[in-house]
Amino acid sequence: MRGMERTFRQQLFFLVLCLSVLKGDSRYIEDNEISREDLYSFLNSELKRGLPEELIYHRPLRCLDMIAVEGQFTFTAERPQLNCAAFFIAEPDEVISVDFGSVDIDCQGGDFIKVFDGWVMKGEKFPSSQDHPLPVYERYVDYCSSGSLRAVRSSQNVAMVFFRIHNAGSSFTLTMKKLINPFPCNIISQTPEGSFTMVIPQQHRNCSFSIIYPVEIQISEFSLGHRSSFPKRTMPGCTGSGDFVEVLGGNGLDTSKMLPVADFCYSFTGPSNMKIGCDNTVVRMISSGKFVNRVSFSYQSLDPQELQRLKQNSVEDFCFND
Amino acid sequence: MKLNLLGTTVILLVAFIPRYECRAIESPGGALRVPAAQSQTSQQQQQQQQSGPILERLGEEYFIRLGNGDTNSFRSPSMYPGGSPAVFNRALQLQLTRRLLQGKVGNIRALISGFGDHVDESMERGRRSEDPPISLDLTFHLLREMMEMSRAEQLAQQAQNNRRMMELFGK
Repeated sequence: MRGMERTFRQQLFFLVLCLSVLKGDSRYIEDNEISREDLYSFLNSELKRGLPEELIYHRPLRCLDMIAVEGQFTFTAERPQLNCAAFFIAEPDEVISVDFGSVDIDCQGGDFIKVFDGWVMKGEKFPSSQDHPLPVYERYVDYCSSGSLRAVRSSQNVAMVFFRIHNAGSSFTLTMKKLINPFPCNIISQTPEGSFTMVIPQQHRNCSFSIIYPVEIQISEFSLGHRSSFPKRTMPGCTGSGDFVEVLGGNGLDTSKMLPVADFCYSFTGPSNMKIGCDNTVVRMISSGKFVNRVSFSYQSLDPQELQRLKQNSVEDFCFND
Repeated sequence: MKLNLLGTTVILLVAFIPRYECRAIESPGGALRVPAAQSQTSQQQQQQQQSGPILERLGEEYFIRLGNGDTNSFRSPSMYPGGSPAVFNRALQLQLTRRLLQGKVGNIRALISGFGDHVDESMERGRRSEDPPISLDLTFHLLREMMEMSRAEQLAQQAQNNRRMMELFGK
């Protein structure tokens, strides 16, 4: 009898040990940016994560809104709002994390909140279907059909949320956070002027930098990782090479529907100037994955007179449909 | 003894059943799962709210398209009382932008082409043609204005954070 009790106790202790190990979630490696930077949090703006509630930025969310700051945003419906959307945008080297709290909506009555990984406008999405790992329908995450939705993280520096509220008085709060992305791919610029260096470290992917303004672009440096700068080319243009940079212009967000203005297959240094009078200007890098590709460029918006002159003089009129 | 062993085995099995994997983005978008009844009621409600002429008469038309994006054309030219000069257009555009952003505009008309009757059909078409099921129809002009406003908000917030940090760590 005694022996049985002892072995049972041993088994029980073993069981308790197993359960406590599991409770510590040691099976799941959670990539938490905050804890890693804890030591240096006073040096950068993440200090506010440790700040008390009243110091977190909080403002009401509008039916049509764009958010570029971290914080909490509460939407309260004063009347039925059936078609609302909020855009999120962060710095090029950040991604967006959206979390929901205090959600008081009527899912059964047709209310919804959907987070989209990217931006959608006029049926065109950024990043395009070719550049995004997920198919279109998986890029929408529905709050109502996901039970308790955890924080949704975007794959690039832009995201958006669509919502519909039928009953006045319903509300929800969303928390927006920005997380660092060391190798950004697919970026929308928040400003009409700036500069950027895009690096694709031996990945087989295509990355786009989109500027939704007519701009003058200077590409100051473009390097493919290999030593030889003269690959064999049988066709004119860069379509034969696996690694090149192209500059596209168009009037929509979808990079696959835009037309190339110029392309570069050879490494070079020294600025190459271009003026593009389109609503959307995109610098796109195609990478085969064999090399570390890098392109540096800067851009300034074209003033209206310059734009007018361009429209009058230019032969290519695929953008000028005013 | 045997009961003991059996009990322990059962408990261990229960304890080691794998949980859901941690994933940042969970189940696929729910656009396809909207039941027909639900969408019909929403369409009826939207049909009841046909008011909103203010938006159609102004220079910019802003609407959200659900389902397949077949109707891409702006309706505003036909609603205009016989064409208007660009200056008038621009002034109205600015006015609309300001109003929209202040949330004073009442109704934003939804274009749901073929959504009510052909829910499944449009979903099917959407799936095959890779069209986004929910899209927003905005002009670049409005998008740029919103970006500038959000940028101003970001800079103001950054300035405030800097001020707080200075106070915390001493000047």
